[in-house]
Amino acid sequence: MLRRRSRLIGGLSVIAAAGLALAACGNSSSSGSSGSKITLTFWENYGTQLSLLNTAKNLIHAYEKLHPNVTIKMVSQPANNYFALLQASAISHTGPDLAVMWTGLYLPPYADILANLRPYISQSTFNNIEELQWGAEDFNSSKAILAMPVDAQFYMGFYNKKDFAKAGIKQVPQDWNQLYAACTALKKVGVTPIVYGSASASYTGEFNPWYDFSYLMIGALQPSQWEDLYNGKIAWTSPIVQDQLARWHQLFVKGCVNPDALTDANNLGQFISGKAAMTTDDGSWDVGQFTQEMKGNVGAMPPPFSVAPQHGVVYFPGDAISVMKESQNIPAAANFLAFMDSPAGAAQIAAAGLIPDIKNYQSSNALNSQMLGFVKSGYTVYPMLDNVTQPQIVNVGYQVLPALMVGQTSVASAVNAMYVKHNELPVAQRSSYAAYFGG
Amino acid sequence: MPAGLSMRPASPFRLAGGSGRNWGRSQRGAARAGWVLSLPALAGVAALLVLPIGQAFYYSMTTWNGITSTWVGPDAYLQLFEDPTFLRVLENNGLLLLAMPVVIAIPLGIAFLLHEQIAGWKFFRSAVFLPTAISWVVIGVIAVRFYALHGILNSMLSAVGLGFIKTNMLGSTHEALAALAITLIWSQLGTNTIIFITGLAALDPSLAEAARVDGAGPLTVYRRVIIPQMIRFIQFAFIITVLTAFTAIFSLIFVMTGGGPDYGSTTLEFYVYQQAFSESAFGTGALLGVLLFVIVAGISVVQVRVLRARI
Repeated sequence: MLRRRSRLIGGLSVIAAAGLALAACGNSSSSGSSGSKITLTFWENYGTQLSLLNTAKNLIHAYEKLHPNVTIKMVSQPANNYFALLQASAISHTGPDLAVMWTGLYLPPYADILANLRPYISQSTFNNIEELQWGAEDFNSSKAILAMPVDAQFYMGFYNKKDFAKAGIKQVPQDWNQLYAACTALKKVGVTPIVYGSASASYTGEFNPWYDFSYLMIGALQPSQWEDLYNGKIAWTSPIVQDQLARWHQLFVKGCVNPDALTDANNLGQFISGKAAMTTDDGSWDVGQFTQEMKGNVGAMPPPFSVAPQHGVVYFPGDAISVMKESQNIPAAANFLAFMDSPAGAAQIAAAGLIPDIKNYQSSNALNSQMLGFVKSGYTVYPMLDNVTQPQIVNVGYQVLPALMVGQTSVASAVNAMYVKHNELPVAQRSSYAAYFGG
Repeated sequence: MPAGLSMRPASPFRLAGGSGRNWGRSQRGAARAGWVLSLPALAGVAALLVLPIGQAFYYSMTTWNGITSTWVGPDAYLQLFEDPTFLRVLENNGLLLLAMPVVIAIPLGIAFLLHEQIAGWKFFRSAVFLPTAISWVVIGVIAVRFYALHGILNSMLSAVGLGFIKTNMLGSTHEALAALAITLIWSQLGTNTIIFITGLAALDPSLAEAARVDGAGPLTVYRRVIIPQMIRFIQFAFIITVLTAFTAIFSLIFVMTGGGPDYGSTTLEFYVYQQAFSESAFGTGALLGVLLFVIVAGISVVQVRVLRARI
């Protein structure tokens, strides 16, 4: 009897030990460091943005090399309804493990379907990230981390150095008057001063007015006042907003802008070829292409949409990656994101021409260095205006601002449409940025 | 009715010698069996049609963001009609409706010519049908290049000495919708022409011949004899085209204009997408979907009634 019992206990011990071993295997493999095969699915909405696509490919390739048991499948999703697809997939439990997520006010509507990364990633990694709060719950970096930034992005204007020299422009324009003067000089030598169109929009393939609008508001307001635009203390119809937009429209009236500003699908090509001297609705995501095709002939310039010399710059980690809450591989997926924001991951991001979002990063790319130099030299840093404006108002802006630029609608009418939309929003969505979570 | 005759058809059960009670029981049994056999189909219709429509109607009165919903009630409909953007979008749909006579008239004219077997009619029949075989996205991409400032349209105008008319229709709030309508007319050419050719082939030729014998000219024959006989086909083409214009040119708008500038080319269908998928306002999206359904159904009913009154 005793023998039988000891046999039974021995057998149970073996089963328990095997069970523990299996559990241990499961833990180690789920973080992706070793063990059984793990396949992670990664949804992206990068479209034709080569630098972002290359970044993702570089990161995946490097990570898979370090973790041979992990395979990351990248799935391209359409940019325009990406977030609706992501939400639908989460509801139907068919979502990916990893998904591109935008930070700022784009994030809160999806907070419920994203995993908190804090338990899976070390604090030292978080400490190393610039502006982490824009991917955190309530925009507070000490709370749940819902999205890990991929790169630090600049909304930025660029100018063609040869065109400027040809027109005798010695100093890069810094305010409205200098910009109008440069425009006159460039037109005299047969160069389109500023080219707009649909090719520089980072995602949608439409004219994106929010790049310029960010600099229009930089030229008029302090960063703290941007939250007043959000909460309505400064109305979208206020004279300060209208004045800036009127000056912006003057660029079109004065012939400083290509006449097909809204529909030109080759605006980047015109800038690169030198037919146009400046592009302002652009950003750091095109640095790779400019560097490759224009070599040293291109310079960065914060669009000088200001009465006083422009002294602000949009520098913001707008593009991030999240782990979906319903993922079966949260530790492994989080491990990939920790790698992304490590020095090894930063090297892969930089290789694709982007600026890794880690503190004190120094770029070897001349254009990236120049843009980082603006920050270091004391330019006031602003977020992307569309990332700190209610998405509903951003959508209205996409419709009315391009029309305003080319004179299809008046300044008053355009800002009124945004004002009306603002007033339609629930109070919780127009009090504080943090209140947008759950609002 | 002569005595002893009954209007009731002879029952096979009676013929088989069954009593009245048995006949009634069998009838009830057959009815029950019918219901039972119909159940799978009814369940399918309920699950795939009635339930989603009911859900859409319910969610149209909520602020549903895809995950949570808050009940608003019928006020949601009233609030929508206070939204100037929505009214603008409705106006766009109304303007698109103005293109319908053209979408009908041109294919009808082409169908008459092809029916008369003009020289090269076989080639033209294929050529006219070609747009039908092209996807909306491809049509949209071609149209963007066609209407661009440095595109095909302006090149053609320059080539015929009209270079002073430089258009950029897709960049204009007022012209973008016209560009969409013209593209729609072109893309519907094949479908409607084939419908009308089929209709013309099905007509009784003796009526037209009789009219000609009576001295009617070709135009009179078409106007007085052929078109009245074609009404059913015109009605069908009209409904199909309205349905297409209101519910199936999303990809065209998406590729050509994105609904802009300034909502100038946003139709109700596209507005559903903008609200539901760009703003995650699925409740408003459902509300707009219900309205779109009501509008299309209303137009179809009115159109059928008007043409029926004329026949």
